[in-house]
Amino acid sequence: MEIGRDDFVIAVRSAFLKKETQQRFSLIGLIFLSIVIIFLGSFNFKIVNYIKISINELVYRSSFIISAPEKFVKSNYLIIKSHFKLYKDNSKNASELERLRSKILSQKIITLENIKYKKLIDDYFIKDNETLAKVLIDKQSPFLRSVILNKGSKNNIKLGMIVLDEGYLVGKIVEVNFLTSRTLLISDINSKIPVSLQPGDIQAIMSGNGKQKGILQYIKNKDLENYNEEIFVLTSGAGGVFKSGIPIGKIKSEAYNSNKVNKTIDFHKDFSQLKYVKIVSYSKEQKSIDSMAKEDLKKMDEEIAKKNQEEESFKILLKQKKIADEIRIKIEEENLLLKNKNAELRNQLSISKNTILQYKAQENKTKFVELNNLYKKKCKKTFFNKLYKEGSEEYIACILNKGKIKKN
Amino acid sequence: MTRYKNNNFISILLIYSPIILLFVSVLNKFDFNYLGLKYFSFNFSYILIFYYSLKNRRGFGYGLIFIAGLFNDVVLGAPIGISSLSFLLICGFAAYLRNITLRASLIKEWIFFLFTILFVQSLMHLALSLFFLFKLNYYVLITNLIFTFLFYFPFSYLFEILSKIDFKGMHD
Repeated sequence: MEIGRDDFVIAVRSAFLKKETQQRFSLIGLIFLSIVIIFLGSFNFKIVNYIKISINELVYRSSFIISAPEKFVKSNYLIIKSHFKLYKDNSKNASELERLRSKILSQKIITLENIKYKKLIDDYFIKDNETLAKVLIDKQSPFLRSVILNKGSKNNIKLGMIVLDEGYLVGKIVEVNFLTSRTLLISDINSKIPVSLQPGDIQAIMSGNGKQKGILQYIKNKDLENYNEEIFVLTSGAGGVFKSGIPIGKIKSEAYNSNKVNKTIDFHKDFSQLKYVKIVSYSKEQKSIDSMAKEDLKKMDEEIAKKNQEEESFKILLKQKKIADEIRIKIEEENLLLKNKNAELRNQLSISKNTILQYKAQENKTKFVELNNLYKKKCKKTFFNKLYKEGSEEYIACILNKGKIKKN
Repeated sequence: MTRYKNNNFISILLIYSPIILLFVSVLNKFDFNYLGLKYFSFNFSYILIFYYSLKNRRGFGYGLIFIAGLFNDVVLGAPIGISSLSFLLICGFAAYLRNITLRASLIKEWIFFLFTILFVQSLMHLALSLFFLFKLNYYVLITNLIFTFLFYFPFSYLFEILSKIDFKGMHD
């Protein structure tokens, strides 16, 4: 049965225009209202913005409460998952910790030197506002990578402030409400950040891929092919949105050796695990290089020298430890060698002892055979004497004694 | 008297259970994103709205769907009104199918659902990319559509069971 044109029109009219008995509003009316809201929203119309802000406040709080059961399931799932790989992680972390401890000292020196040089070129930024915030909602939507934080304009949060997690860049504030704010994560497809690749100081733009990775854009591919180790990605500070030198992630050697046009960046932080973050803003240090600054520099130089000395002594200690370890290993090896030799000698000794015993037994046998012919009569039991039965132990002793054993 | 009151409360709860489920799904988004499965995502709200609009369920009002859409936009961070429009369009398509259908068939509903979500998502993302300059990952979009389409079948069975429980509860 085909549907005629009139039937189609009637069905559409009935579906969209006719207000049904169970409905208070007409569908077409609400569709028009939605279109009007979208249209006004695209022009940043004030009333729409006010509606949006008030819905934001209501929805973020209620979403936080309603998400509680799912959060509970999620956290338990993650706990179980982490328990399964606890041992592996622990051994990996222990070795990593050893390696990092030795790096801390040299990093401190580099940081101090860096501050000194940045002050010299008047490019030293200091934190002027730092607020800790809790992640209220993290939907991990594949369409928009953003999280809602529980701090808003009431806590002096402003648009464009940087969001960090343990010093690593997480995102930027893109929407501020009175009690909440929205952070656009750097993994979002719409996020564009000027970055610098180290080593090599190559400049590029990083964009999110909408998942857990970043994509490097506007870079000459041939520049990266010369490197064989990991490349670290930091903010370059170009454009003035982000302070330079904030760590973002790294590019593994496989990623930049691949033929893909867009190189992928592995972020240092897993954005699906965000719980508490820092919202910071930076400003330039006001001091110019006057006498105070010179004093500061002098102090810093002294501190650098002190740290250098510490590093030297640390290096010496490390070398000593290395030598002691080598000696210990050698001694252990020698000890093992000697133990083996000792066991070998003992073996040989037991073999010689056995040979001697065998030889002695053979000698006794020969002697017995010789004496047996001579002294058989003196020892053998007959009808007329009470000597020893042939073959018995007493008989053998008698033969070897060349006659009956005299008792004292 | 107390029993009567309790029954009344339960029956109201049962009548409004689909819309409550819609609001919970919009505010909570139980989409299993945290499992970290590559490209896996589906739109539960679309399935729910299409199914209950098709069945013309009592208490599943267009006004509430419109508000749920506004909430969805706020949670997702999308321009306000976009989800409301898509939800209402789904309602419209479902109402059209209801009007032209004499004998309900799940397979036909399923195919029509595919056509509906294809149209609505295309329209929604066209608006997002043309008017709001949103960049979208098309692989994610396509997989989202496919999973939403595939999940309609099991969810419709589930909703049917739920409706039977509701019906029984209302008449007890």
